[in-house]
Amino acid sequence: MDSSVSPFSYRDIIQEGDLALVWISRDNIKPIIVDANHMFNTRYGSFSHKSMIGKPYGSQIAIRTKGQNRFSFIHVMQPSPELWTLSLPHRTQIVYTPDSSYIMQRLNCNPCSTVIEAGTGSGSFSHAFARTVGHLYSYEFHSVRYEQALKEFKDHGLPNVTLTHRDVCSDGFTIKRNDPTSYLFQDDAAQATINANAVFLDLPAPWDAVPLLDQVIARDQKVGVCCFSPCIEQVDKTIEALEKCGWTEIQMVEIQGKQWESRRQMVRTLDDALERLRDVRRRKEEGIERRKQMYDAVLKDDEADGEKSERPQPPKTKFNPFGKGTRVREGDVNYQWKQVTKVEPEIKSHTSFLTFAFKIMDKSRIC
Amino acid sequence: MDYLHHITADQHVILKLPSGNWKIVELKPHTSVSLGKFGAFQVDDIIGYPLGTQFEIYYENQSQPNDDDPKNKNRTPVGKVRIMDEDVGGSTEGSELSNVNSSANNMNLINIGNEIQAMTSEQIEELKRQSISGEEIVAKMIESHSAFHKKTLQSQEKYLNRKKRKFAKYFTVEYLSASFLLQWLLEKGDTQKVLDMSEETVAMLLNVANIRSEGQYLCMDETGGLLVYFMLERMFGGDNNSSHTGKIVVLHENEHANLDLLKYSNYSEKFINDHVKTVSLLDFFEPPNESEIDSYFKPIPKEEARQLKAGKKNAYQRRLKWYYNQHEIVQLSTKSQYDALIIASTLQLSTLVPLLAEKVHGSRPVVCYSQFKEILLELTHTLYTDLRFLAPSISETRVRPYQSVRGKLHPLMTMRGGGGYLMWAHRVIPAPEPPAHETEDEGNGPEEKKQKTQ
Ligand SMILES: C[S@@+](CC[C@H](N)C(=O)[O-])C[C@H]1O[C@@H](n2cnc3c(N)ncnc32)[C@H](O)[C@@H]1O
Repeated sequence: MDSSVSPFSYRDIIQEGDLALVWISRDNIKPIIVDANHMFNTRYGSFSHKSMIGKPYGSQIAIRTKGQNRFSFIHVMQPSPELWTLSLPHRTQIVYTPDSSYIMQRLNCNPCSTVIEAGTGSGSFSHAFARTVGHLYSYEFHSVRYEQALKEFKDHGLPNVTLTHRDVCSDGFTIKRNDPTSYLFQDDAAQATINANAVFLDLPAPWDAVPLLDQVIARDQKVGVCCFSPCIEQVDKTIEALEKCGWTEIQMVEIQGKQWESRRQMVRTLDDALERLRDVRRRKEEGIERRKQMYDAVLKDDEADGEKSERPQPPKTKFNPFGKGTRVREGDVNYQWKQVTKVEPEIKSHTSFLTFAFKIMDKSRIC
Repeated sequence: MDYLHHITADQHVILKLPSGNWKIVELKPHTSVSLGKFGAFQVDDIIGYPLGTQFEIYYENQSQPNDDDPKNKNRTPVGKVRIMDEDVGGSTEGSELSNVNSSANNMNLINIGNEIQAMTSEQIEELKRQSISGEEIVAKMIESHSAFHKKTLQSQEKYLNRKKRKFAKYFTVEYLSASFLLQWLLEKGDTQKVLDMSEETVAMLLNVANIRSEGQYLCMDETGGLLVYFMLERMFGGDNNSSHTGKIVVLHENEHANLDLLKYSNYSEKFINDHVKTVSLLDFFEPPNESEIDSYFKPIPKEEARQLKAGKKNAYQRRLKWYYNQHEIVQLSTKSQYDALIIASTLQLSTLVPLLAEKVHGSRPVVCYSQFKEILLELTHTLYTDLRFLAPSISETRVRPYQSVRGKLHPLMTMRGGGGYLMWAHRVIPAPEPPAHETEDEGNGPEEKKQKTQ
């Protein structure tokens, strides 16, 4: 892969060295580095990377599995921040798209934004920010996670992300020379000029970090912050810190995201149900009648021949509008179906509380 | 790019009023803006301050002009503005109440009608006439309110907020973001005009559609341009000088596209022309033929064109424009592959989407908005049987707002219902069925052949 091109920018053709996402099913998406000598193994069979190379992204790759000779396939997708969120290796809890998309919108993220994010964690949100904003300053104090994220951001070609190894709650956000950081210093600058206009804090004690933001946020613009905390007690302490530090328009919200799958339910009319019951009754009566005839015959005529003494069989089901007793596939064209939605079996009922606040440090007039 | 962060002349901004209502204004220099009962201010007085600044309107020394001109009788007098340092009307801080006693519970809570409020409405009106700020009026009212200290802290706060809202003459000047534009429309009662779309749903749309500044997007927008504005803001951040190359191709079912709401944006006409292209559905599906276009018209060398006489020159320019436009339509409808398909339309999606998705590149998202889940249900059933779509699913996102006051955090009692739904799928490229090793056997793969029991 051309190292100057991020695997996250639009690309058309699957190439050797690419980061690609193999879609096995909705909850099973696997990142791979395309390598002509490798196979991608699933329990349904092996897919050679060679068969992917040169094809457009989004291509379905199909095989016949040897043993059982079944038709099996995968799709090779180009990474996007949202698909990455569904497939990334978890190092921490992560922020999912219903939350991150709303936060980005509320903080009005766009190419003119400079964003601060702490902590980096698994980099789920970092990728969504990096796609959209001008520059992202991300901070992580856990050294292993820092190293992993450093490598990941480099491999993913995210030149607009600066990662710094830092405990932001005790040491703030300023980036100086000789700090462990991916920041590229200009020749004579002693420290980085950050001027962030949006801040996202996903760490256990945001109230310790809030007072340290003043040194790194833009002075003469409206700056937005979002603190992401699972407990309401954290929200309370966060609001206290925000108020003390002059943040206004404080608002806390919660996001509820749901996925629906489309299903079908068989249309089973009352008329059909009645008709079926009638049919059953008719058959029963016929059976009784026949049995009676048989017994009568046996009792009346002892010299009955062999054929006559055989037990009568009830007639086979004639009317089976709902396919009772057979395996009916949902959507079978021989039946009538109503389209319905079904919510996913387990929903994320609580991710975190989102506390937003805004601040303009310097309200002086420019001419 | 001052206009992105500072209040600038000739800019559209949105004003937040004490009542919680919004007002969009264009800041024409040397004019005044009236906010009705909240006063009026001079545009020139607010230019240059950061966007997001809250101003208070005040009147110096009886400055209510006793104008005899009957025309001016109902006009709001224009006051002066000063910056407010404390945010009012948002969350409440307990600090302003610290010098007043309050009863810890509401045991003594009694109906505080006018008997207890010692000031008469005439007195209050008088105060209002005197240059006094809303804050000061409220402070005076508290002083004279004999039972104020009997109220609980909470009801004191509520009382204060109510009074502040009533007498305050302040406003906040905000950047007119797509979210604010949406909020303004909803408040105005234009819910149907924007297909009941909520901020959280369109936010989700922008992310799952992977909208970025270099993308080429195929879009249908029945919200009067609101969706396109959301996309433009995400792609370019309001920057008219943006060097990003992204483009939105808007398909429309009428003779002209309705992108009316873009008139409130601060993008220049040139910018919009460069980044938003509109094509009718008919032109898109039945594009003109290139050789036919060329047979009608051929541009002449620039030198010759320059020497045309005035009348002829105009006619020539018109035809030249037509010529380029026709070729552009051919380009956009037959030669372009798009980075996402984004639809907010009430046309039948189950017939529209399979056709438009032909123009979407593999692995790129297809995202449809609908106010109704059932519409997307029909669509997903159609897409399930079409191997060009991977895992169509319906999503719903809702924001639940809280009362955001320390110690009293709880979800608000009511919130807006509705907000719409999204269908999200990816465009994929089906493989031909591989040859069988031995016997034919339809089996299950990782993702079994489409249209299993799903
Ligand atoms: C829940 S994770 C963040 C997940 C991330 N938002 C994502 O979407 O992948 C929180 C991270 O913050 C880091 N962290 C906690 N306290 C910190 C601090 N004071 N300074 C920097 N990082 C901190 C933790 O090490 C952890 O990796």
